[in-house]
Amino acid sequence: MRRRDFLKAGGALLAAAPSGCAAPSPPSVREKAHVVVVGGGYAGATAARHLRILDPSIGVTLVEVEGAFEACPVSNQVLGGFRSPVDAARPYTALERRHGVRVVHDRVVAVDAQRRVVKLERGDAIPFDRAIVAGGIDFMFEDMPAMARPDVASRVFHAFKGAAQTAGLRRQLEQMRDGGVFAIAIPEAPYRCPPAPYERACQVAAYFQAAKPRSKILVLDANGDLTSMGGLFRKAWSELYGGMIEYRPNSKAVDVDVGAGMIKLELEDVKADVMNVIPPMKAADVANPFITVNHRWCEVDWLTYESKAAPGVHVLGDSIQIAPVMPKSASMANAQAKVCAQAIVALLAGEAPNPAPTLLNACYSMVSPKLAIHVASVHKYDPKERTMRAVPGAGGLSPAMNEAEARYAANWVLETWADALE
Amino acid sequence: MSSRPLRKLSLVAAVGLSCALPALSQQVQFPAPQFAPPNLTPRGVAGLAMNCAICHGPGGRPVAGSGIPALAGRPEREVVEAMRQFKEGSRAGTLMSQIAKGYSDEEIVAMARHFSALGAKAPR
Repeated sequence: MRRRDFLKAGGALLAAAPSGCAAPSPPSVREKAHVVVVGGGYAGATAARHLRILDPSIGVTLVEVEGAFEACPVSNQVLGGFRSPVDAARPYTALERRHGVRVVHDRVVAVDAQRRVVKLERGDAIPFDRAIVAGGIDFMFEDMPAMARPDVASRVFHAFKGAAQTAGLRRQLEQMRDGGVFAIAIPEAPYRCPPAPYERACQVAAYFQAAKPRSKILVLDANGDLTSMGGLFRKAWSELYGGMIEYRPNSKAVDVDVGAGMIKLELEDVKADVMNVIPPMKAADVANPFITVNHRWCEVDWLTYESKAAPGVHVLGDSIQIAPVMPKSASMANAQAKVCAQAIVALLAGEAPNPAPTLLNACYSMVSPKLAIHVASVHKYDPKERTMRAVPGAGGLSPAMNEAEARYAANWVLETWADALE
Repeated sequence: MSSRPLRKLSLVAAVGLSCALPALSQQVQFPAPQFAPPNLTPRGVAGLAMNCAICHGPGGRPVAGSGIPALAGRPEREVVEAMRQFKEGSRAGTLMSQIAKGYSDEEIVAMARHFSALGAKAPR
């Protein structure tokens, strides 16, 4: 409610701005083709910027409900209190002014692949020649109905999407008594950003160490072991945080009892002062018509990212049915977006897309305010299997947590923003 | 509601399909990848080079104050030599020593040439 009012006010301000003030120009009648990008995150905004750089005769509209680009990878540091929410957001202004992307802040109601039109909640529908659906993830509340109830949703945060969730959980952590228990419930893989929950345990532990040292962190993992960088995280937990973090594998959360302050697992209940329950995830609801796997994910052609369900619609980022050992990461979304932008330019010119695309993945996790670890991989196209495969022998993990990579991680945030926005 | 059994079914199907050829003992393994030959056309190389942006900055020009070296405008030979050392392990690195192994020698030369041709001061 408040966000929408704020956005409305923002829209009114924009509309009232003098025309000399570089207000976004309407789509030109001269443009060769029009691409509508749904979602302005690591996938969508990066694709929009690169499309305009590669071929300025292609008109691009980016539809994003939020007023600014929220860097989810920074959110765990915000939870720890080591970065401010202001550090985690950046405006879309340069994308509009420098690159001529028309940015529309609205909610997409439907991507109609047949009529080739994107329908908006408030604004007029936008026709497209090609659409890019990059909405990230939504949650499978049917697997955890309590999390969808308003009384629970206002008191138990997933903090896995949107700055309001991060702010809500941070507030609870600040209000928690010293000696309290903070529990993180992790869903079965695949979910977005595999190392994120483990990094979250580190960041909150660093906060507790300084502010409420008698507290405890319970990591309730539905998976049989850590899904990413397990050895490195376990080492960080024991060396940096003593016994503060307790890890429980095969502990799948199925329900939440807010009144009792309990997370219900399959076999037992766990009491916690602050509950961070991350429900299972699926492709963003806006991508529902393009879901082809298990009612959850969207299959794509890896040369173009065109949906297997609808020609003319491309799907990027966390909504995709991943290839073998491919993470749902911001880094991967950035890489996919650039392959997709190149492919769309080729397709609109009547040419074949690159037959040998390469994706690079580099994910950093901050295990303390000053130490980081990474996981990296290089993925290339296998034409026989028609999928992306990791290059054997390439990529890997940090040998140990270190300070240099904490600086690289901070740079990564700035450079991926630049690659998407500037 | 019934997503869980479905999920398992399709996993079995996916593994089954990908393992149609190799021996039964390798049931959870995928066959060795057979990658497409590298695309060394200007567009193909530009595509490869775009991947470097997340650390070295868009166009190979890092943000001010970044400790990560620029690539734009660097002499071709310098970049090729550094990548060769990263690849064979004679030069220490955090990520580069691992990532360099993902590229063929031809791809490395082509990317180095691409970056050296970009002006160091052109917009990012």
